[in-house]
Amino acid sequence: MSEKKYWQNFGERNSSESSRKLAENEFQEDLPMESFDSKGLLEVKTPRRDFLKYLGFSTAAATLAASCEVPVRKVIPYLNKPENMIPGVADYYATTYVSGGDAVSIVAKVRDGRPIKLEGNELSGITHGGTSARVQASVLDLYDTARLRYPVQMVNGLPQEVTSFEAFDKLVSQSMAGQSGSLVLLTSTITSPTSNQIISEFLAKYPGSRHIQYDADSFSGMLLANEAAYGKRSIPSYHFENAKVIVSLGADFLGTWLSPVEFARQYAKGRKIDEKAPEMNRHYQFESLLSMTGANADERFAHKPSETGAVALSLLAALGGNVTAPSISDKLKAAVAKVAKDLSAAKGKALVVCGSNDMHIQLIVNAINEAVGANGTTISWSSPFLTRQGIDSEFSALVDDMNAGKISSLLIYDANPAYDYYDAKKFKTGLEKVKTSVSFNGRLDETSELCKYVLPSPHFLERWGDAQPKPGYISLIQPVIAPLFLTRPYEDSLMKWSGNSTGSYDEFFKKYWEDKLGGLEAYEKALQDGVLESKTTDAGVVNPAGVTASYNGSKLADAVTAIGSKKGSDLELVLYMQVSMGTGSQANNPWLLEFPDPITRGAWDNYAMVSPKFLKDNYDIDLSDAHQADSFEVHPERPVIRIKANGKETTIPIVPVPGTAEGVIAIAVGYGRESADPKNTASFIGRAVPGAGRNAYPFATSNGTTVDWSATGVSFEKTNEEYQVAFSQTHNSYEGRTSVIKEMSLEDFIKDPNEVPEERENELKKFGGIENYEKDGTLYGYYDKPGIHWGMSIDLNSCVGCGACVIACHAENNVAVVGKNEVMRFHDMHWLRIDRYFTGNYADPDSVQTIFQPMLCQHCDNAPCENVCPVSATNHSSEGLNQMVYNRCIGTRYCANNCPFKVRRFNWADYTQADSFPNNQDQHGVGVLNDSVLMMNDDLTRMVLNPDVTVRSRGVMEKCSFCVQRLQDGKLKAKKEDRPLLDMVDVRTSCQQACPTEAIVFGNINDSKSAIVKERVDNHHRLYHVLEELHVLPNISYLAKVRNPESEAKA
Amino acid sequence: MALYKYESQVRPPLVDGNKTYHQITEDIVRPIEARPSKLWWTGFLISVALLCFGIFSVTREVIYGVGQWNLHKTVGWGWDITNFVWWVGIGHAGTLISAILLLFRQGWRTGVNRAAEAMTIFAVMCAGQFPIWHMGRVWMAFFVLPYPNSRGSLWPNFNSPLLWDVFAVGTYFTVSVLFWYCGLLPDLATVRDRAKLKWRKFFYGLTSFGWTGSTKHWQRHEYLSLILAGLATPLVLSVHTIVSFDFATSIVPGWHTTIFPPYFVAGAVFSGFAMVQTLLIITRKVFNLKEYITLEHIDVMNKIIVLTGSIVGIAYLSELFVAWYSQNPYEATAFMQDRANLFTPYGWAYYIMMSCNVLSPQVFWSRKMRRNLTVTFFMSVIVNIGMWFERFVIIVSSIYRDYIPSAWATYYSPSIWEVGFYLGTFGLFFTCYFLFSKFFPVIALAEIKHILKKSGDGFKEKMGEAEKEAPEAFAHEMAHAH
Repeated sequence: MSEKKYWQNFGERNSSESSRKLAENEFQEDLPMESFDSKGLLEVKTPRRDFLKYLGFSTAAATLAASCEVPVRKVIPYLNKPENMIPGVADYYATTYVSGGDAVSIVAKVRDGRPIKLEGNELSGITHGGTSARVQASVLDLYDTARLRYPVQMVNGLPQEVTSFEAFDKLVSQSMAGQSGSLVLLTSTITSPTSNQIISEFLAKYPGSRHIQYDADSFSGMLLANEAAYGKRSIPSYHFENAKVIVSLGADFLGTWLSPVEFARQYAKGRKIDEKAPEMNRHYQFESLLSMTGANADERFAHKPSETGAVALSLLAALGGNVTAPSISDKLKAAVAKVAKDLSAAKGKALVVCGSNDMHIQLIVNAINEAVGANGTTISWSSPFLTRQGIDSEFSALVDDMNAGKISSLLIYDANPAYDYYDAKKFKTGLEKVKTSVSFNGRLDETSELCKYVLPSPHFLERWGDAQPKPGYISLIQPVIAPLFLTRPYEDSLMKWSGNSTGSYDEFFKKYWEDKLGGLEAYEKALQDGVLESKTTDAGVVNPAGVTASYNGSKLADAVTAIGSKKGSDLELVLYMQVSMGTGSQANNPWLLEFPDPITRGAWDNYAMVSPKFLKDNYDIDLSDAHQADSFEVHPERPVIRIKANGKETTIPIVPVPGTAEGVIAIAVGYGRESADPKNTASFIGRAVPGAGRNAYPFATSNGTTVDWSATGVSFEKTNEEYQVAFSQTHNSYEGRTSVIKEMSLEDFIKDPNEVPEERENELKKFGGIENYEKDGTLYGYYDKPGIHWGMSIDLNSCVGCGACVIACHAENNVAVVGKNEVMRFHDMHWLRIDRYFTGNYADPDSVQTIFQPMLCQHCDNAPCENVCPVSATNHSSEGLNQMVYNRCIGTRYCANNCPFKVRRFNWADYTQADSFPNNQDQHGVGVLNDSVLMMNDDLTRMVLNPDVTVRSRGVMEKCSFCVQRLQDGKLKAKKEDRPLLDMVDVRTSCQQACPTEAIVFGNINDSKSAIVKERVDNHHRLYHVLEELHVLPNISYLAKVRNPESEAKA
Repeated sequence: MALYKYESQVRPPLVDGNKTYHQITEDIVRPIEARPSKLWWTGFLISVALLCFGIFSVTREVIYGVGQWNLHKTVGWGWDITNFVWWVGIGHAGTLISAILLLFRQGWRTGVNRAAEAMTIFAVMCAGQFPIWHMGRVWMAFFVLPYPNSRGSLWPNFNSPLLWDVFAVGTYFTVSVLFWYCGLLPDLATVRDRAKLKWRKFFYGLTSFGWTGSTKHWQRHEYLSLILAGLATPLVLSVHTIVSFDFATSIVPGWHTTIFPPYFVAGAVFSGFAMVQTLLIITRKVFNLKEYITLEHIDVMNKIIVLTGSIVGIAYLSELFVAWYSQNPYEATAFMQDRANLFTPYGWAYYIMMSCNVLSPQVFWSRKMRRNLTVTFFMSVIVNIGMWFERFVIIVSSIYRDYIPSAWATYYSPSIWEVGFYLGTFGLFFTCYFLFSKFFPVIALAEIKHILKKSGDGFKEKMGEAEKEAPEAFAHEMAHAH
């Protein structure tokens, strides 16, 4: 190897001293910074070449210092962490939803001490985990800003705070001292065993006192009829699942009647199709308005409300009852004959229910049910309902007594007759004459504000308690959050005021159940389960060993006479309950207010539903005419009429609904709540209430014994006004688009089960047929989808349109409330909606058929929204989810335009106060946000938000995520436990879980054993994808709707 | 003498009034050097007022959200994108005139190209406002730019036609500005050289980039013009093609149409020329330039209008035919029902479009009409109303009723702030145009001088003399001509 040495300069070659020094010193020149030493910054002579450096640094530093000052918000950790509580991990507690007499067993999801979501309790033998829209929404009531926050004494119509319970007790006892009149406890139906015991002990202390139960939606006609016919003043259990023929005379049993969650489940059981042996029940509905239940019927017959009795009587006559049929229209006669024939053929497997509150009609219905052998098969007396016990005549007697000055003390709990009694005026004058009036209602509603003392009871999520909807079915209530306000259960007050006990209701409750169950362990187990069901009754038994009751038809003749004397009129009025609003007790719940009615798809209001003929006759708008319908439906303005009935009148917009009987106006109750001084409505009843509809209760009548939600002799006049109704769907027909909706009759399905697959195959055969469509329908490459691939199936046959899923989605995913004004502008934010279409001839109400279709993001594998986003804010996950990246979204709305299902929702305004711009919710002019939106942004209301889901800010797009937070949670759980994902256990979407009819199945379609794959394979004759021919490859499949009308040939 | 042979004698003159070079300079620079008239001030202040209203409207939208507009869950684009496409379309004539007509050696372009190019630039500026401010979170608009960033690094989605728009419109704007400015250089130098006021000398000295008029300058100037013309030519076709992809590549019935690219380009040229007519008829009147913008110019442009209007008409009919022929129920609804049926909610818009764009331009088959200023002015406005409705019909009447009937929309009509935004872009456009007409020569001085000896009326008259020349003499001259 050569010894050559390369040198850089002479210094190195000669290895001079200076050169060595230089080589050692890496930084041969001084760093310019050294010019700082000892001198101040300002004296430093900045070298020219560093000028830009300094400029850049100082500008950047100044910018940082000036602009990055963000207000510091501290998250305060627990000083003492509560036991069993991990921040960020949800706890679940079984409890019970109670409202009026209704009780639904639920499980409350609690995050960091706040209940945020309610699920059905699957251990319940009644609901089996189903919920309703109102149950789902009730968690929001807990955080209602209008809840009364402390006990008050009403002085001149204004509340004055009473600082302590002791002071309140003292005030009441002083007021009650030395009274001569009697004491009355007025409540809604109480099903709680413990409360009932406390009540009876309390009443025993006050001689002459009584307990009156009052139900806004009264069943007293039925209670009295059953007493007359069966000797029991109660309502039997129904078993729709055992019925092959179901006839409903105006009973909205899937939506609002008695126990809809339970009935919907039973009903859907009888309508699910087993493709190997297809059969299903047949449902006839006679009714005056198109109810949600009627919308599900196989055949529907419209009639005036005054004809209900005549229809029932004709049916009884046709079934061979010993009565003469009254004269009814030929159409109805034919219908009755048809129904009677079907009913008698299905003896023992038939059920007739009736929504009338008229004792006489219910007596006839009892006779019909006897004739069709329902007693003991589809009707069971083993565990009758306890959820409705109010007798109208008892309450009207009380009102008379109050007016006569016979009542000196009135204690009111969970009842609001000043609003929902048909003769509220009389009740109010009577209430003024009561010396001591105490309300335990949770807010200053119409009744409470007229009472002298108000001691708010806690929300059911804040208290202990129990409910017994049926004997043998106990559902326990346990608090899932400490009381937010100074509230006390009314039972506490009763215990204190009776002097029976010094303890509290909570202690009483615990002792009661420990004694009953024999120990703490059993008590705690019961609390964990939430339900206590004695298996000796028909709980959980699929086929109820029919318990009959002996029938006594002696009162039938009276009923026949009474019905014969009933007179109708040209125009009649009928009141009904909306699925969302019910009686109006949850009137300040923005989720429910914003829920589009299943039939009209209108929100935030009630209105007069009329037949299309009414519109044609009076406004010359023919909805059968495409052009006129077009121009009518695209505007939210609806004509306003003035309705007069029983001496009362109101102005109300009309909404034509096909299927409404001619000569009938139907108005929903539950709206138009108002304080005595309307200025107080927002603060007393709630900020979402003002402007929401009109009160329809005054139109109800009394037939002497019971309250009747209909009126005859109705007149109306047109006004020049128009009123905007907030519709979220304007077009009513699916325009024969069979790739959107597929439906057929059972007969056709049996005859040709391949109709749907053949139709699909035919449509897709040019692109490889169903089998190869995914690969051959595109120019682009095909990719495998290994691992998890999420899919959903929705059975249109099981969906009854109740909307529990819509509210469940609202609650789970922090979907914003936008208020009436924004819904009217078509800005609603629902991720999941239930489309409703009508078919049939609008001029013939009986021919109108309705179909519901839950519509949500289809999570297309070839999603048209994904490739048009300029910034990739929406993209596809490896698990088949179409996901939305809110942070990335710049809001071009192109994705929404390109979504064929129109399920994407844009944040048009700052609905959530999550915007970068502060104080921008108070816009005037265009796009005003209603007070209800601001109310949803209150710190209290915000406690309901799900911390797992981002609150979207203004300007971004959002849509269904398949509850991705739940999917991640489920996957993590399985991973932690080192096991595969459990189908239908680890992951369930919110909508799926809420559905009372199990219409929604969700899971991993790559798992051949999963329920979703089973559902798709078992039902492949009905399976289709909406708009399949677009090759967007939706991950949601639908099962075609099958109707079961009486075939013409057989008839 | 042989020079006269370059131009046919049959062609009418393009510069009237027997002008000399000096007169041309005087005529065209006069508005710059004189004080602005009252008319100018009135127009300018109205424009600025409109611009301010537009800024206020947009501010409201940025602060309170897109909910300030009446768009909704079904109709996600309305006036915003309608206006965008409309303005972009208007911006087509300028480059077409300057680039394609330059390459085709159309002498008549010199009278109108400066104003047309300016119009293009201002129209594209107006157009650009809409896709920017229609965003829900406009402060994040930079997300569409592909640059290495600290967010992961997140890249825009190159599949999205909206992103193509960003590049197409951006490129078009850049090239149009360069082209326009390149043509301006010699003229700015002329103004500088004549300037007596200090600021004017300074301003035009600065803006004319030291132009001296040397042969080298002219040579480079010509080269640059040709290169830019070559670059701009495909852009004329590409911009509106790509804008049409916003619709054509989607799956919305009524948008998803393969005919869109040529149809949009024809429509764009159509509306662009109409806008040029509107502006030039006013400009020639106000600045007394009718000897430079002659009836001949107006006539030629009206021919283009009737041609492109008819192309657009054929496109409309083809759409209807295909909607029927394809047997696609969704397209049938979109075209036969929601558009061609007068009694559906937006039927009226379709018929306004049809009558303004297809029927009314047919008057221009008559030479008399083509050369009638009143008719031309009226028609130019009508055409742009029609073209606005074309975009409105395409956008709104397609999406308001598409696949899922439950999502069929309530009636969409604009809010005051949507209208305000549109008016604001008129303010922007005319503010810019007024400033331009005050500070820049509205007619390309150098170029008009270039054709003076071929197409000036004084020279045309002498053309007959060339015929008398002996062929040998002519051949000799040709051989020594450059």
